[in-house]
Amino acid sequence: MPHVSRAHLLDVFRLPTSDYPRGLSFDRHGALLACGAADGTVTVVSADSGTLRWQTRLPDSVSRVAFSPLDDLLAVACFDGTTRLFDLAGVERAKLPGAKGGWVEWLAWSKAGLLATAHGRGVRVWSAQGTPVLETPAHESTVSGVAFSADGNHLITSCYGAVRLFPLQAHVESKLLPWKSSLLSLTPSPNDKVIAVATQDNSVHFWRLDTEKDSEMSGYPAKPMQLAWSPDSKLLATGGGEVICGWRFEGKGPEGTKPLMLKGHEKPISALTFSRAGLLASGALDGDVLVWEPAKSPKPIGIAPMKGEVAELCFSPDGTLLAGCDSTGVVTWRVTRV
Amino acid sequence: MSNTPIPVTVLTGFLGSGKTTLLNRILTEQHGKRIAVIENEFGEIGIDQALVINADEEVFEMNNGCICCTVRGDLIRILGNLMKRRDKFDQVLVETTGMADPAPVAQTFFMDEEVQRHFRLDGIVTMVDAKHISLHLDDSDEAQQQVAFADVLVLNKLDLVSAEETDALEKRIRSMNAMAKVLRTTNAQVPIADVLDVGGFDLKRAVEKKPTFLEPEYPFEWGGVYELAEGISQLKLAAGPDASMQVLLVPVDDLATPLKEGPERGLRSWSKQAALVKPGGLVEPNAATALDVSSGSETLFGVRVPRAGKWMLLTEHGGDEYQVKLGTTAPLAQKVYGSHEHDETVTSVGLHFEGDVDGKRLNAWLSGLLQEKGVDIFRMKGILSVKGQPDRFVFQGVHMLFDGRPDRPWGRDKRANDLVFIGRKLDRAELTEGFKRCLT
Repeated sequence: MPHVSRAHLLDVFRLPTSDYPRGLSFDRHGALLACGAADGTVTVVSADSGTLRWQTRLPDSVSRVAFSPLDDLLAVACFDGTTRLFDLAGVERAKLPGAKGGWVEWLAWSKAGLLATAHGRGVRVWSAQGTPVLETPAHESTVSGVAFSADGNHLITSCYGAVRLFPLQAHVESKLLPWKSSLLSLTPSPNDKVIAVATQDNSVHFWRLDTEKDSEMSGYPAKPMQLAWSPDSKLLATGGGEVICGWRFEGKGPEGTKPLMLKGHEKPISALTFSRAGLLASGALDGDVLVWEPAKSPKPIGIAPMKGEVAELCFSPDGTLLAGCDSTGVVTWRVTRV
Repeated sequence: MSNTPIPVTVLTGFLGSGKTTLLNRILTEQHGKRIAVIENEFGEIGIDQALVINADEEVFEMNNGCICCTVRGDLIRILGNLMKRRDKFDQVLVETTGMADPAPVAQTFFMDEEVQRHFRLDGIVTMVDAKHISLHLDDSDEAQQQVAFADVLVLNKLDLVSAEETDALEKRIRSMNAMAKVLRTTNAQVPIADVLDVGGFDLKRAVEKKPTFLEPEYPFEWGGVYELAEGISQLKLAAGPDASMQVLLVPVDDLATPLKEGPERGLRSWSKQAALVKPGGLVEPNAATALDVSSGSETLFGVRVPRAGKWMLLTEHGGDEYQVKLGTTAPLAQKVYGSHEHDETVTSVGLHFEGDVDGKRLNAWLSGLLQEKGVDIFRMKGILSVKGQPDRFVFQGVHMLFDGRPDRPWGRDKRANDLVFIGRKLDRAELTEGFKRCLT
């Protein structure tokens, strides 16, 4: 049995928000934390102190916020259909138009600094300067997820009935991965080998990209909307109940293997995220936040409370900070190992 | 943040029925509620007290292929977003397109646990264009479904039809959906509270208010009240179209309105598996009996009357059809009840039984029933008196899905069970039999 050290979650700051928080993101340096809110407020604070760096108010609810992994840019998606790019000082650098009538539902940055925005049935890809790079044909239903492959070759989208890979490079081809269900929570593995989605049918569905073979993991008591890959792509942690179910992508697995069952929450899981060092943070509807090291132990190694249902969790790039939000605001903890 | 689910009203109706007029009234009138409206077309109205969201109707099938498990994907997504600003809304209103099947909308509130946790289906309001609905009802499944699924039916544009036409229309839609509250209006001028606050709709009250509510669905077509002496009375039947006919004799001395209450009492003893009695045989009181009338000529039977008084004879087919004669005098009163033939048209079946039900038996019966007949049962609603439970149990279902919860205590109210089924090919006798077996 490997030695398992505990993780302490020490409060760094609590930041009440003016409305329900929508979106949480650390910048690539781990110095800033951005949070959107349902009243249109965007707040950027120092990640290690909570000191306000800048704040702005958009005309409608924020739906997502995401810092670029390559540039010092924050993308903010809004219900007014636009996406805005701000620099670290809060100056608006670009305003990306959306389609009439639809809000921007999804945002994703590629490692190369391209930004994808999804509204309604369409997805657009933009350069960091806000110039259009690609626009997909309309999907047959509203896009339910958008991501980039880690190698930058593909834009990946999901909607009812299929996952699609659109080529971003001349030498790659498009792919269609069909599955007749409402596909949610699109989550490609970091090594580009597997694409996982949750389905409305209370299951996790995944495709192996080399063979395009797919598998269905069912038996969840609820929709497993929370999906998170370990950084080495060996474990897919899934919610969909009070127990975190981890599918091991090793050997011939996970098909035919027993999943790793992480038991500790008393209410259904509502947020899951991995740190780059392989720590897993989970939040539940009762406000409990737990930290796990699933490669070493099926028991939680750290705990912290929130006031209400945990809506989102994210680690800073170096994994030393964990931020979470519930309906009342944002909490940031320093993660220390003892 | 409050954990009370936000009520959702679904507004359906064919193009031109007045949906938009009603919607605009709801958006502009002062009713003190903050409303989020999910509509399928771009509206031009911007109102401070309401959030208007445009949505494409996206009906998603589940992978298990069950047609009853279709949901509205767009609603799940939009309601998911509304949850995250929920403090601001008292009510959500979903407007469907004219041709929409209301089932996936309703099923969304049963199928998705997240939606279920934060929202509850308060009611389905269907706008009916009084001038043109009859045509739609003849040739459109969607129009029939919209009427069948409704909790509130608004008969609109009454200025375009006569009073007689309105009465005929109400009768027709009532035969399809006996559960709904029917409002008559012109230009969608109905009180907003009548369409936005449907959750309080009480089946029992509906039964009391509308004595005809349960009538059209009786398994017998005729009933006659007789003054009979103790002993054996003679029952004479002419040859009729069928080889056997079921009859039932029930006492009605204690009933103030025997023609109304007698059939209710008769329902308890009515049975599809009634024993067959040969010509000359004896009919016992309170026991459904199938009379063998296959002889092709007039047939005589005996009816045992245990005590003198008023008795009601209920017959499966029309009394005239078999020229039914009981005893020596004509009936004191008689009534023709609706035909019990069931077909492809949408009908309602209402059941009312006093007493308690066994929760386990009821659950087993409903599960079996919905598994077998769920495709044809559009909606059901009920208030149940479950043995050992101090609270009323309220349930509702859409196709194969059903959901129930304890409601307020019975208190001084008389414990009873009221159920309403709306759908196609409904068999009242079978539903009655099934439910009766759940009574303790």
